[in-house]
Amino acid sequence: MSDEKVTCKDVMSHICESLGEDLDSPRCKAIKDHLDECQDCKNYFKSVERTVDFYKKYDVELPPDAHTRLLDYLGLKDE
Amino acid sequence: MDEQEIIESAKSGDRKAMSVLVKNYEKTVYNFAFKICRDPERAENTMQETFFSMVKSLHQFDGKSKLSTWLYRIVANHCLMEARKKKHEFFSMDDEDGLYENNYAADWDSIPANIVENTELKKILDEAIEKLSPEYRIVFMLRDVEGLSTEETGKITELSVPAVKSRLHRARAYLRKEINKAFQK
Ligand SMILES: [Zn+2]
Repeated sequence: MSDEKVTCKDVMSHICESLGEDLDSPRCKAIKDHLDECQDCKNYFKSVERTVDFYKKYDVELPPDAHTRLLDYLGLKDE
Repeated sequence: MDEQEIIESAKSGDRKAMSVLVKNYEKTVYNFAFKICRDPERAENTMQETFFSMVKSLHQFDGKSKLSTWLYRIVANHCLMEARKKKHEFFSMDDEDGLYENNYAADWDSIPANIVENTELKKILDEAIEKLSPEYRIVFMLRDVEGLSTEETGKITELSVPAVKSRLHRARAYLRKEINKAFQK
């Protein structure tokens, strides 16, 4: 258990990851502890995960002839 | 030929190799451009400009990053430039308190997962992201959707790591909230 106090908003607005940040810092530890126990934060992150997933799956196809138009524009040919 | 060799040939003026690179990356570039522009015509235009820049400055590509990352940077710059030309009203991210709610219900399970066939959901996703300013949109797309690291995202957008994180969590909270709102109706 960490002594540092964090609120739900702190947890939601803080991204703990390895870059430039000590993952075992008191703050990240406190966040992990909070996440283990707080259903609200769990729900929040679950819905953020789904949000990201929606946008990941939202793929579009190249419009017809866009490939040909592109090569034309670049002065290249399909070979 | 592996990609390294294709890139080297293209750099030394082999037009066939250049065409191969275009073909290999056009879908990736178009999709990323679409995710930021949300408009087929502007996405195609961005794709053309991006590959035009690639043809012109591939000799500057040093291979330290992936070619896709290098292309994302061109797309991002192009989109930001376009966005700055038009003075558009976007949701203000300054009011951070408005991004969070007091409690979160776990009723997202009722949202259909199959986005591909769901026009209603697509419309909601379009509307939500269109309100987000391009600076936030690009960070969200690079970091969360394309899966680049925070550091790579920072390099492309010329933001510090803390600035990327701050934009990322605001963009996430905002999009989540908009989708949630649309499904509460
Ligand atoms: Zn909490």
